[in-house]
Amino acid sequence: MKRLWVILKLLCSADPWAMGRGAALTVVVLIMGAALLGLSGWFITATGLAGIAGIGIAFDVFRPSAGVRFLALGRAAARYGERLLTHDATLRALASLRITLMRRLELWPMEALRRLRGASALTRITADVDALDGVALRLALPLTAGVITHLVAFGLLAWLVTPLIALSLTAGYLIGGALVLLRVAARTLAPSTRAETAMQALRRGAIGLFRGQREVILQGALPDWRARIDTEEAEARAAHDLLDRIDGGAGFALSSLVALLTALVLGLSGGLIAAGGIDAAQAAIGVFVALALAETVLPLRRGVAEIGRMRDAAARVLADVPDGPAPVAAATRSPDPDPDAGIELCDVTLMRPGRDLPLVEGLSFSVAPGEMLVLSGASGAGKSTLLDALAAVSPIAGGEIRCLGVPLADWPESELRQHLMLLPQRSALLGGSIRDNLALSVGELTDAAAWEVLRAVELERVVADRGGLDAILGEGGAGLSGGEARRLSLARALLRKPNILLLDEPTEGLDPATARAVIQGVRSYLPTAAIIAASHRAAEAESADHHRELNGPRGNSIMNQ
Amino acid sequence: MPLPMSRNIGAELHMPAKPSARQLITAAPKRLLRQSSYWALISGALWPVQAGIIAWVIAQWATGHLGTGAWAAAGAFAALGIGRGWADRMGARRAFAAADQVIAEQRRLLLDRETLRMDGRASSADLAALLSEKLAMVSPYISRYTPAMSRTAVLPTLYLACTFYVSWIAGLILVVAGPLIPVFMALVGMAAKEASERQMAQIGDMNALLIDRIAALPDILLLNAADRSRADFADKAEGLRKRTMAVLRVAFLSSTVLELFAAIGVAMVAVYTGFSLLGEITIGAWATPLTLGEGVFILLLAPEFFQPLRDLASAWHDKASADAVSAELQALEAAETPPVLGHGAPASRLEGPARLEMTGVSLTRGGVSRALPDLAVEPGESVALKGPSGVGKSTMLDLAAGLLRPESGEIRVAGQPLDDETADGWRARLAFVPQSVHVPDVTLRDFLDPHRSGADMTVALARARATGIVDALPEGLETRLGETGAGVSGGEARRLLLARAFLSGAEVILADEPTADLDRATAAEITAALADLRASGCTVIVATHDPVLCAAMDRVVELEGAA
Repeated sequence: MKRLWVILKLLCSADPWAMGRGAALTVVVLIMGAALLGLSGWFITATGLAGIAGIGIAFDVFRPSAGVRFLALGRAAARYGERLLTHDATLRALASLRITLMRRLELWPMEALRRLRGASALTRITADVDALDGVALRLALPLTAGVITHLVAFGLLAWLVTPLIALSLTAGYLIGGALVLLRVAARTLAPSTRAETAMQALRRGAIGLFRGQREVILQGALPDWRARIDTEEAEARAAHDLLDRIDGGAGFALSSLVALLTALVLGLSGGLIAAGGIDAAQAAIGVFVALALAETVLPLRRGVAEIGRMRDAAARVLADVPDGPAPVAAATRSPDPDPDAGIELCDVTLMRPGRDLPLVEGLSFSVAPGEMLVLSGASGAGKSTLLDALAAVSPIAGGEIRCLGVPLADWPESELRQHLMLLPQRSALLGGSIRDNLALSVGELTDAAAWEVLRAVELERVVADRGGLDAILGEGGAGLSGGEARRLSLARALLRKPNILLLDEPTEGLDPATARAVIQGVRSYLPTAAIIAASHRAAEAESADHHRELNGPRGNSIMNQ
Repeated sequence: MPLPMSRNIGAELHMPAKPSARQLITAAPKRLLRQSSYWALISGALWPVQAGIIAWVIAQWATGHLGTGAWAAAGAFAALGIGRGWADRMGARRAFAAADQVIAEQRRLLLDRETLRMDGRASSADLAALLSEKLAMVSPYISRYTPAMSRTAVLPTLYLACTFYVSWIAGLILVVAGPLIPVFMALVGMAAKEASERQMAQIGDMNALLIDRIAALPDILLLNAADRSRADFADKAEGLRKRTMAVLRVAFLSSTVLELFAAIGVAMVAVYTGFSLLGEITIGAWATPLTLGEGVFILLLAPEFFQPLRDLASAWHDKASADAVSAELQALEAAETPPVLGHGAPASRLEGPARLEMTGVSLTRGGVSRALPDLAVEPGESVALKGPSGVGKSTMLDLAAGLLRPESGEIRVAGQPLDDETADGWRARLAFVPQSVHVPDVTLRDFLDPHRSGADMTVALARARATGIVDALPEGLETRLGETGAGVSGGEARRLLLARAFLSGAEVILADEPTADLDRATAAEITAALADLRASGCTVIVATHDPVLCAAMDRVVELEGAA
């Protein structure tokens, strides 16, 4: 629950003023609604009394009827304002919540981040932040507004009717409402976790089944898989059914509360009128307000029923950084790099993640500024793992890697990134313009610089044909072909002007001529960079100054004997 | 299930929607919905009685009768109120049960159909999303919108009749205010739609922005661009907020029109009643002047007259989302993707010698119809299908396994036609090594022995040259593979599949480019394992470019470009 509080503070702190005015108007709407019914009830009863007494002429009809009209129009206007302001505040809060989430994810180890890219992990994250959006809009705002409305209603009723009626209504609604809502919150905690878990299991099961469909059908295992998915599905529906039963029960309890409190006011007022304490018109105020205050409690139960879901979502969004290797480049003091040193490996040993046999042992080489080395070897031989290690993304099991003469461990992360750039095999673009994508590298980007780098990766024509730098790409860079997307990521990497450039299969998916031109472009764009490229293609091999073949894991070599 | 706000906003803007989610509701849930609406009508019909009690009590107070006797009336009011809440609950539960049935039914249909469709269907993630959270979005449409619709159809008329019974002027006020509401809402809705079409085109949704950035986070960190990326996100989100608010200012007008008319309706009824009671207005009631009790009664009915419409308006976006899901379901159903042969169920092995014959087979893929060469493979024979990429080698293997349905021609296996009856039994005799192996999220032991026969794996692993792979895994056979576990490379996965073929005693091995993209040593091991399978009497069919692998087979079938 503490985490929900953290989320709420986060949502409100995005723009406390926006949230505050939204909350204020929510209260105004509720109070005007209650006042409209109360005043109307009083007006009719009072006119009725006046009519009976035959003093109709003396009755001041204009002020109350103007009041009724004012409240009617004012409530509608306030409701409009309330909806606008709370949505505005929520949109601000949404952005701030998502930025906080990004900030936290930035601390995650690279391995964990790469796993996040799967469709199910991403859907889960959006489902979680969506659930948290409701913390302010569906829970905190209506709850606060409801309590304030009751306090105001207490004051007005005590003044206009009698403290006894005011006290019974306020106490009845606050205590009765709190009891029902607390019970809803307590009872829905477990089932909402259950429902969410089952839904996730259903989604995971379905993804697993559809991805492995060929295998499943070949194995004749479809009925087994179906049975498992049907179980998850039934579980999800059972949990939702339980939630609906609790929700329905709460709705019943709350509307019974309204009926009982209205009845209480009716009964009490009868006694008070008989005792001469109040007149019928005053009593009518109490009855009508009792009915109108239902608006403060009835909508709350949905938000309250979501507390379990919100709590779990908050726990995941505010989760600790997952376990992983400690950051490699974690020094705090600035090193003293030697720009002529390039990159050097001394006796490096790498372990394959999850295996206890070394993948690469005793590897030593160096690449000087202006030179390019090509790493080749079968898939699984450790090319990408080695590039990760060189980029200080994953740790090495032995030996030392020096970037510009300084061991990786002596670099602060952000300074290392100024000098060293890794283009992984799978790199993602962002939705937005081509300029946005390039500007991610450098911030300030002139058109000339952008075109220069696009020329280097043979994308000048492609981009010009699509309408220039402001051409818009879809989600994840959709709209470019695989090869074009690859080259745009390469351009983005080149713009960093690194001293050390590490490329994982940079020309994959390009025809040989384009591949050659791209490699030439890279080398002339960065004439003094030390480049290491993992590749099995001719374009890289022809341009390279050095070659290195990785022979694969020991597991293989043992079997070869 | 809470709807993300962005979706609510989007739906708010597209009020007039095609009525299509309705088609998802079949007979049984329709019956439940009818029961639900009966309960809602019972609840709605109780309100005039409750209003009458309050009106009677207040009228008695005004004339000085009824002091403490109000308790009896209060008791009746409370009992009716509780009864009303109970009826609401019964109705809501039935509506939920209807929604539950519809969702279960649609999930079943979707799974029945899509698990057997393989060729060119929607992506796994899209299907899984449709099956789980998207179908769940149909629930509020059925459990909230549909009941609101049936309440709107009956209750306002009932309350109007009650009001008319007391005073025709008050009735007239409601008649004028009520039906005008949908007209004004439609007008404002249209304006909102126009505004949204002008502005929403460029509005990306905030979650799409977020997902994009999370998916690209590894790159962003390598580019040292975390701050820039966040600043850019904040910028875009702020732009999104401004544009969304511009649209919402218009869109919210429609619900404000509703609120306004409801409020004005109530206010006018109150003012009219007040003036009549004072005797300043003498028309409107029937024979006698309006009494206080009658005045209170129609005042209590007025807000309830508008309530069903307000419920309906707040459930509009439920309908819009459900319609979108329904459209997606229908598009999927209409896709012309034939199912695989058979049911993918366990079956006893098809009897007969492991012979395969394909004659005059053709099929349409990606809109192009094409004929495939004839092929006959004798039991125990090993054949390499060779030819340029795109000529149909993989297609022939899929056809041989019954994973594709030929349009014409005949495929005979073990002397019988390969059809829905025989496909499962034929596949029980097969082992298929695809080019990219999907490694499920299970332990290696379960991967090798999916039916848990408990057979000893040592020999099979050794013959598939896969012992080293298992030895290198941290927990040996108990290591979890797949997404969350230790990865195996493509070459390793193929050898593990061959180990499974040895283990299961498969008689026919189909392998699609088993040596492609591998280093020479691994390729040689796979070729040796296939040769070993052949030597032990298996029928082996490989699709390959690899001359070494071709040489290890009995026969090479060259496939021509335009066969």
